[in-house]
Amino acid sequence: MAGNSTFGTGFNVVQHYNAVLQQDPSISAPVAAVSSLVRLVEQQRATTMLELMKIVPEACSQLKRATHDSISLSAGCDVFLQQMARLSQGQSAEECSRALIQAGSEFVQGAGRCRDRVAEFGSAFVRDDHTILVHSYSRVIMGLLRRAVKQNKRFRVYVTESRPDQSGLKAAEELQALGVPCEVVLDAAVGYIMEKVDLVLAGAEGVVESGGLINKIGTYQLAIVAKAAKKPFYALAESFKFVRLYPLSQYDLPTHRSDLLAFKDSKPTEDWHARLAATNPMLDYTPPELITLLFTDLGVMTPSGVSDELIKFYLD
Amino acid sequence: MSSTKMDTFSARELPLLIESFVSQLKRGQLVGSKTVAINTASLLREIVSRSPWEDIPTLTGLLKAVGKRLLRAQPRELLIFNVVCRVLHIVNEDYSSVEVVNEGGTSNKKKGHAGGGAGGAMKGNETPAMGLGQAGTGQPRNLGEQVARSMDRAALNAFHLKSLVIQEINDYIVELEKTEEEIADNAREHIHSNEIILTCGRSATVEQFLKHAASKVKIHVIVAECAPAYDGHEQARALAGPNIDVVVVADAAVFAIMSRVNKVILGAHAVLANGGLVAASGSHTIAAAARHHSTQVVVCAGLYKYSPMFPFDDDRFNTLVSPDTVLAYGNGDLVDAVDV
Repeated sequence: MAGNSTFGTGFNVVQHYNAVLQQDPSISAPVAAVSSLVRLVEQQRATTMLELMKIVPEACSQLKRATHDSISLSAGCDVFLQQMARLSQGQSAEECSRALIQAGSEFVQGAGRCRDRVAEFGSAFVRDDHTILVHSYSRVIMGLLRRAVKQNKRFRVYVTESRPDQSGLKAAEELQALGVPCEVVLDAAVGYIMEKVDLVLAGAEGVVESGGLINKIGTYQLAIVAKAAKKPFYALAESFKFVRLYPLSQYDLPTHRSDLLAFKDSKPTEDWHARLAATNPMLDYTPPELITLLFTDLGVMTPSGVSDELIKFYLD
Repeated sequence: MSSTKMDTFSARELPLLIESFVSQLKRGQLVGSKTVAINTASLLREIVSRSPWEDIPTLTGLLKAVGKRLLRAQPRELLIFNVVCRVLHIVNEDYSSVEVVNEGGTSNKKKGHAGGGAGGAMKGNETPAMGLGQAGTGQPRNLGEQVARSMDRAALNAFHLKSLVIQEINDYIVELEKTEEEIADNAREHIHSNEIILTCGRSATVEQFLKHAASKVKIHVIVAECAPAYDGHEQARALAGPNIDVVVVADAAVFAIMSRVNKVILGAHAVLANGGLVAASGSHTIAAAARHHSTQVVVCAGLYKYSPMFPFDDDRFNTLVSPDTVLAYGNGDLVDAVDV
């Protein structure tokens, strides 16, 4: 029944999702979501395909609502739903559930390797004596840089501070522990240092159909400056982050709210720090013309290759 | 089965063949991409036909080992990698088609990355793996995975396979030989009457392309001379004929005449994974000038030149040659100071 978050078996998918994330901080949101959905399918007692096909999408919407429409989580849920649609052809609910559980578990186990494969493809682009500019903290980027360090490459990294949560500082700490010389750069100073940079790396919350990138706020700016300075801009994304969206502007994202930066009336004693944190967006959209190449676990591809992959998966 | 005596005789010749080819590559005695490609494919065919192998992993291991040696001998010939990959692909394809026939269509129990289906047909009792890149047919993602997959298979009777593979390699060699013809067949669509075309250096593909076009329409060709080897002069001599008016210009004049040029047609030594070219020195300048004037640049390159490598370093593919043609040794200050 809609609105019943436990599906009659006492299983709360959102709770399980949060527990998975807490247990393993290195797991990414879409993988945790699939893991919770697998658990749900194990627990549910649907006897007909129709029931199953109501329960799973309902669980997906709950997850999306609980995470404020997180893009990467939506991508993961969509992959799971597409797999369910594929497996539902001519099978009973029991068989479908079993196959789904198996596919989902294999996916979750293989997901860790996805990051490694991205690192494998991308680390060849990092050469000796390079200066790299990294935006914010991204586990995939750290994996790539760690691999490059293991290959005994000598390079330096500028990390953007990435306000308001200053996640760039975390990246700088990790790089320092690896022995890579790094500097934290003000978000506003990327234009200043762009000339000295050899390549720019950015992670991804999601990769959209056009090949554009949805990532932490500041990525779009960084890409524009990189293009103006003719520096290559590389995005790193696992394939399960490819999402079936086609934004035409910054305000087309599902995470957009109309009250963001909306010039609401301010008090004379307004606390601007708090207001800044509350009214600013956390994600932005980088159009594909600004992205040189995408490093994914499916290989190194141009932004236009993304739609090919999406079509192959969703419309075969 | 041929007699054992014949086998050992052929098997002994094989290392000699490989050695002579490797030294030819090292010394740069093989001129022309097509020659290198055909010779590499022929050598691999000889390996398949003459070396003693019982199962597929042995054969692919042999081919890979020889491929590595050839690449080390001449790292600039990127197409060696392509040819070796293509031959390995032929071996694996034939292997899968023979395997399906042998097993009478029983489903392959292999799970995992590629979803298991041998010839790509998805059988009803298999679970396709989840996620992008595992598209419904369960085809492996790329050549590398296909090759890796072959290592997991059980040994198959090599006898059936040998003649099939050799036949396919022969077909591939014929395909290589016809590359330039097939490219030239497109010439009429791209070149119109009285067009002024700019080209650079010496390329057999471009020569045939332009000649084919000239068999129907009159064209004017401007060739950049490409100092210090002056390949442009040879190209001009080769092109000159009825219906083609050829002019040779100095490399420095390219920007100046670009406004009069309708089209630029270039050859390439290799085409890289990001769409970039490894081409005759001067091609980059010509392309930049063409960009400035919004002139079309067309590249004629056979499929065997398309390499999966990315240009990680800007100067990795540069070939440096002796400066003797520019500054003769006799004129250099150094010569007097050297005692041999």
